[in-house]
Amino acid sequence: MNHAQEPVISIEGLWMNYSDRMVLRGIDLAVYPGQIIGYIGPNGAGKSTTVKIMLGLVEGYTGTVRIFGRDISDGDAAYKRRIGYVPEVAELYDSLTAKEYLGFIGELYGMKRTDAEEKAERLMGLLNLEHAFNMRIASYSKGMRQKVLLISSMLHDPDILFLDEPLSGLDANSVMIVKEIFASLAARGKTIFYSSHIMDVVEKISSRIILINGGDIVADGSFAELKEKSREGSLEGIFNELTGFDRFRDIAGEFVAVIGEGDSND
Amino acid sequence: MTEFYVLKLLDRLQGVFRRTGVDYPVLRSILQVKLTMDARRTPTVLAGGKDNKQTTAEGSPFRIQWIYLLLGLMLILFVVQDGNYIFSMSITFAILMFMIATTLISDFSSVMLDLRDKNILFSKPVNRRTLNMAKSLHVLIYLLTLTLTVTGPSLIVSLFKQGIVFFLIYAAAVILMDCLILVITALIYLLILRVFDGEKLKDIINYVQIILSIGIAVGYQLVSRLFNLADLTVSYEPAWWQYLLAPAWFASPFELLLGGNRSVHLTVMSVLALVVPVLLLAVYIKLMPMFERSLQKLASEEGAGKDSGNMARRLSELFCQGKEEALFFRFTWSMMRNERDFKLKVYPTFGLSLILPFIFIFNVLWGGGGLEELRNTKAFLFIYFCALLMMTAVQMLRYSTSYRGAWIYKTIPLPGLSPVYRGMLKAAILRLLIPLFVIEGAIFLWLFGVRFLPHLIIVLPALLLYSVLCFRLLPKSLPFSEQYSAARQKDFTGSAFVQMFILMGLAGLHYVISLIPFGIYIYAPVLVIANWWIWRISFPRAELGGS
Repeated sequence: MNHAQEPVISIEGLWMNYSDRMVLRGIDLAVYPGQIIGYIGPNGAGKSTTVKIMLGLVEGYTGTVRIFGRDISDGDAAYKRRIGYVPEVAELYDSLTAKEYLGFIGELYGMKRTDAEEKAERLMGLLNLEHAFNMRIASYSKGMRQKVLLISSMLHDPDILFLDEPLSGLDANSVMIVKEIFASLAARGKTIFYSSHIMDVVEKISSRIILINGGDIVADGSFAELKEKSREGSLEGIFNELTGFDRFRDIAGEFVAVIGEGDSND
Repeated sequence: MTEFYVLKLLDRLQGVFRRTGVDYPVLRSILQVKLTMDARRTPTVLAGGKDNKQTTAEGSPFRIQWIYLLLGLMLILFVVQDGNYIFSMSITFAILMFMIATTLISDFSSVMLDLRDKNILFSKPVNRRTLNMAKSLHVLIYLLTLTLTVTGPSLIVSLFKQGIVFFLIYAAAVILMDCLILVITALIYLLILRVFDGEKLKDIINYVQIILSIGIAVGYQLVSRLFNLADLTVSYEPAWWQYLLAPAWFASPFELLLGGNRSVHLTVMSVLALVVPVLLLAVYIKLMPMFERSLQKLASEEGAGKDSGNMARRLSELFCQGKEEALFFRFTWSMMRNERDFKLKVYPTFGLSLILPFIFIFNVLWGGGGLEELRNTKAFLFIYFCALLMMTAVQMLRYSTSYRGAWIYKTIPLPGLSPVYRGMLKAAILRLLIPLFVIEGAIFLWLFGVRFLPHLIIVLPALLLYSVLCFRLLPKSLPFSEQYSAARQKDFTGSAFVQMFILMGLAGLHYVISLIPFGIYIYAPVLVIANWWIWRISFPRAELGGS
């Protein structure tokens, strides 16, 4: 890969262990502007931990993490101003209305409340949520909450987006819109760091796919590159192959057998 | 969003915040959001979509709590005294500190040790200091409202009776006191967070809460004892131990500036009243980022549950009728074990309920006479106070951080809600009340001798009866199905008052019965029948549907 620019994210020798187990075992990574990174791996592989470290939510790692060329361990939170984040769990302040919530988030990012609210209202309108703008988030459906989260992550026009399952709960039409948004943002030089378990989506939207397993990077490259090295034709197949998983049929069979067992006891 | 008056007051101080490295605009918006949310009720999962729109009937966090106002009226007695400020004001501040500190530890520990916000706030450009400052101010605003309610009446009276100087000293001392309490509590938590790690930390925090509330209760007793309430006129004699009593610090400036007593001793204590809170506050602000960082430990992964559930299963088989009841008994049992918020709020009361009967007994002992004398009194009735625990416990059982999990109640095939409530209450009694009662009972038995045993046996069914009454007096709510909000607690002060009276009534009844020869032997079966009856009508068997 040939990159004239400086990497926006550069990670060197990132190790992280929770009290009893290693989560990350020496991750090295450089991410450049305009890339859509599909960050994939099995449950517990360390995907969320990596993202949380970059956001400063998790501490106690060893190694260096540089974002916008600056080591994030210096305690200055200012770099977060240029980052948007959609967490895996849709944690929001439920008892606020979308207007209040988004206005507040905008303020945290240093925007003026009125500007943030106005922008938020337009974005909500585009995602078909204008009727809900003044309703409390507690009354929202899962998809609506997800849209609010997406808006809150992009309201301040960030340069990097960290997205953890950003499409969960969205209907097919919204998924198309959001995927298109990501592509356009990347074309404008924004970096998108995308983790998901839905391989089809990752395969289609990512310009580069990073697969981690057991805290190590086991594959890194575009989908085409990964396909060359593998016998499998789909990302799902590559995923199974690289994580050494081929027993799905056996397990599914046993699972169904266990479900059936209870009946005979009754 | 509402513009809060407090925030406008804070705006005046923004220079001070800026100097401590706080991002003021961010701080302000976090506080505004927090206060707005406190004023709103989160519709519970079970309430359904009915009141999702802006409801008008909302509890303001600043609604006056009349029970505290009542207490505040009592303080007037102390501030109208002329002369001997050191006595009257020491007692005033001892009462205040006791109240404020216990409230802080039981109601606001969960806010101070809160991690829930972290994903939302800390992924934004908010620095640690600002976040922690917002949290502390959030707590402090509540504390000050509470303090103001309590001190309000006496403040106003003092302005007219004692003049402006007294009023100003009083007001300043109250604010300093609040800061002192908040900072000391936070620093103690910080120390624990630094020293301990992981799973142990969570238990230690609960023990510390118990010890703190016991310590404060005992300390409060010491102040009123050492100054001897009965002798308000006695001349003042300085002693070294007074340096250790924070209420005495805050009382000193009154004596120094108004009483005209310019002794070195009083000057030193007055200086302490000013310097210690400010100094500790500075230390705390310095350590704030460390506090936030250490808090992370609380989030560390839970160790695998060591409890195999054997105990709960055996108990549920022994005490529950029917499968559903046993199920909810075990559910409540394990939730009480694991729900950190529940423990944070109930354990301080556990400590208080543990110590309170002995404090009363200690007072009787102090009044003269030895153990022999004590045995001839009816002081054993103080054991009833250990049931105060049930007041808090039953009230807190409705809350959970994972209140959203309550959808499960709607999807499982339940024949009725009675078994749920019955199992829940039985679990709370067996897990909290019974152990407490056994400890208390053993010590009481030792204090009062075997002669007390029949009485002790009667107290148990009386307390069981009381537990059901507590449950009945509070609005019914499925276990662990609501989100906790400090603002809503005020809804319960009314019934808490009634519950107090009922408990005292039960103790009073016991007293009357004990005057009648062989009365308790008649009372015992009456209590048993009353228990049987009230459990029956509180949890009717044939209830259907019900949501």
